[in-house]
Amino acid sequence: MQEKAEIRSKYWLAVFLVAAYTIPFGVGIYTDNVFFDLQWLADLTTVILNGIMQGGVYAMFAVGLTLIFGVMRIINVAHGELVMLGAYLTWMFFFYVGVDPLLALFITLPIAFCIGLLIQKLLLNAVVGGPELTPLLITFGLGLTIIHIVEAIFTTDYRTIPYAPDAFQLTETIAVSRSKIISFVMAAFISISVFVFLKLHRLGKAIRATAQNADVAMVCGINIFHIYMITSGLAAALAVAGGALVSIQFGFNPETGVLYTLQAFAIIVLGGRGHYIGALIGGVMLAVIESLISFMIPNGTAMVEIASYGMMVFVLLIRPRGLMGPKEN
Amino acid sequence: MAEAEIALDIQNLKKYFGGIKAVDGCTFQVPKGQISGLIGPNGSGKTTTFNLLTGVLEADSGDVFYNGENIVGLRPYEIFNRGISRTFQITRIYREMTVFENMLSASSMKIPVREARERAEQLMEFVTLTKLRGEYGGNLSYGQQKLLEFARALMTDPDLILLDEPAAGVNRTLLNNLLEHIHHLQEDQGKTVLIVEHDMNVIMNHCEKVFVLDYGVKIAEGLPEDIQKNEDVIEAYFGHR
Amino acid sequence: MGQKEHLRNFGMLAILIIILCALPSNINLYLRSVIMFTMMYVVLSLSWNIISGYTGYVSFGHVMFYGIGAYATGILVVDYGWHWIPTLFVGVFVSFVVSLIIGFPVLRLKGPYFAIAMLGAAEGTRVVATVWEDLTHGGEGIGLPNVENSFETYFAMLVVMLATIVVSYWVGHSRFGIRLNAIREDEIAAESLGINTTFYKLFAFALSAIFPAAAGGIQAYKVLYIDPETEFFILVTIYMKLFAMFGGKGTVIGPILGTFILYIVQEITWVKFPTAHLIAFGVFIVLVARFMPRGLMGFAIDKGWARKGMVH
Repeated sequence: MQEKAEIRSKYWLAVFLVAAYTIPFGVGIYTDNVFFDLQWLADLTTVILNGIMQGGVYAMFAVGLTLIFGVMRIINVAHGELVMLGAYLTWMFFFYVGVDPLLALFITLPIAFCIGLLIQKLLLNAVVGGPELTPLLITFGLGLTIIHIVEAIFTTDYRTIPYAPDAFQLTETIAVSRSKIISFVMAAFISISVFVFLKLHRLGKAIRATAQNADVAMVCGINIFHIYMITSGLAAALAVAGGALVSIQFGFNPETGVLYTLQAFAIIVLGGRGHYIGALIGGVMLAVIESLISFMIPNGTAMVEIASYGMMVFVLLIRPRGLMGPKEN
Repeated sequence: MAEAEIALDIQNLKKYFGGIKAVDGCTFQVPKGQISGLIGPNGSGKTTTFNLLTGVLEADSGDVFYNGENIVGLRPYEIFNRGISRTFQITRIYREMTVFENMLSASSMKIPVREARERAEQLMEFVTLTKLRGEYGGNLSYGQQKLLEFARALMTDPDLILLDEPAAGVNRTLLNNLLEHIHHLQEDQGKTVLIVEHDMNVIMNHCEKVFVLDYGVKIAEGLPEDIQKNEDVIEAYFGHR
Repeated sequence: MGQKEHLRNFGMLAILIIILCALPSNINLYLRSVIMFTMMYVVLSLSWNIISGYTGYVSFGHVMFYGIGAYATGILVVDYGWHWIPTLFVGVFVSFVVSLIIGFPVLRLKGPYFAIAMLGAAEGTRVVATVWEDLTHGGEGIGLPNVENSFETYFAMLVVMLATIVVSYWVGHSRFGIRLNAIREDEIAAESLGINTTFYKLFAFALSAIFPAAAGGIQAYKVLYIDPETEFFILVTIYMKLFAMFGGKGTVIGPILGTFILYIVQEITWVKFPTAHLIAFGVFIVLVARFMPRGLMGFAIDKGWARKGMVH
């Protein structure tokens, strides 16, 4: 037996998602960008496949955000800046030391973990459980600081890492770029490892216990501030790994972090705040919608940004739980 | 006992949370101009009923008639403006506003500021908070917060006052004061009062009529002394013997 | 009671007006524009304060109303040949309508979600301003006719600032403001105690949207060139937020004080350290949010220099 409002909100979310996926087609037909011949269908398949690959990476850094939210009820708006920082770290190792971007992860991840730990210890530990807006403002200021430090060092020029740029021919007409496949595989591997860690490892279980109820966890002898720090470190590592995988696909500059924050936020809202699997599914869904928009709507690349905001606001209004989030009290 | 006029007529009120039937077809009539009590074991749906009556929660079904009008589905402020005021189980005073501002916030915008100020001063005097008027609500003791909340609920001179556990966390002296105020409201001003309370002394000594809820259903109603002897009530509180 | 206090406050305001009226003819162009921009940020931070300080809905996207005002002036002056003064009213009106359209859904979101939705709304408006080339000239921006206007814009901004201060003063000393405060403190209690929260929030949001539009319009006529990147620049939101928070949000004096202090500081530092001053501002937001969330006015209250609450 479910509440009426609950059923209603599910229904509206379904309607909204169907609309989100069909509107690009509608606009595409209206503006004569849709042809329905074989070549176009092959292009469409390529776009959707690319979107899914892309979504894996989005999902991975969104998972970091959802972890922090789940454990501490904090929205870290500097998360996208950490992704951007990860891209720059990878770029530095690639250009100055000549380390392969994927191998660089072995160096960048520990660094990221420490950064997350420090942010938590110095700034956030004291404000967990307080007014919701304080951590938002703190992380906002932090993000601003990171952007401008990076800008001071590297300027606002776009950087790229040339890595596996060739395409992998699936069939004669359908091709996916190899860097995207590599990223997707890496992202899936990392996401699953973290998931397994949370499910099976003793520390992972402690993290989940803290997310469920921090007071009870504390009574059971878990040092929740350690847990907070580890969670933050883990989230930062996920963000930086996301940055590494983004850096081998796209150009980036200090300002791109804001977009990543908003994407990650839209994803965790769609998937359900604090829900791990939800974030993975939400990531793929958002990426596919984005690629459909940029494929079929003229001026689509600019519209992609609006897609995340629209998604976020609508889902929050229609069904704050998202796809699979816990029930609001 | 003569049939009193009915202030609030509650018909078959229902509210489910997921699978939990918090209020499951509750029906009772609150008599006008009297102090009534609403009691029941923990989790019997008393506070949920209050929240349904004041519009904080939306009822799944059922009707509540107040002065002949069905108030189910109205927004909380609309219900308040029809003359139903309330306090909360855990006090909800505005913590970073002064006592005086807390009072003024509940005044009707229809009356001039001067009158609202005078009324606030009177009520603060009434609950002995005048010397704390410039202090933040959050800095008051819990008992003082209860008093402030009570006084705030009286700002618009409501006809029906719903009190959610007024005795919890309040010391004896303060409680007696509060009860005196409540009697004063009922006897001298003809107000209707409905109290949710765990403290049986309060219910038995001060209420004229008592309603008992269990699992979201009314299982008994009547005079306090009858309720004390009622088999169903004893079973609901203590289980089978 | 209270009469005397109001008289004193208006006396102070009158002195400020006299000084600001006497100043411009005695100082050079640069100082004139510095003071004009200071006044502009007083308008912006006081407006932000109405929705975010009093009502507790912290907006991360208030720059959108400023941008809308700037574009209303830019488009009407350049493409339709209007005199610039009436365009301000158009900007205010458009901003008002947009605030109602956006506010109605978005104000139902709580706390951080409102903040981020507003960030999205502002970015979205920027994208629209970039893409809708027929109306806004797109990314290349609009150049306005170059006329000597430093006195006109100075006094226009002074008038807008006075209007904002008077409205803020009314909000800060009325039952309307108290009700906004009540919504900030506990929305459920406020709604249960007779406050139509939907209406009050929307009213406060609309109030906080109209003045930035006027300020944005004047600013567009002053700087002579507008494009989506500068008119919807997130830094403008950051400034108004930081100035108001530093002075003390939820007060009238706080944002004014915060703006006068910090805007002057940023004016001095940005020329010398263009990047470092932004880093410093980021750090500063962190410090203010972490260690002095109630701002200078909170400090003054703790010291006993100012009274608690806004109505006595």
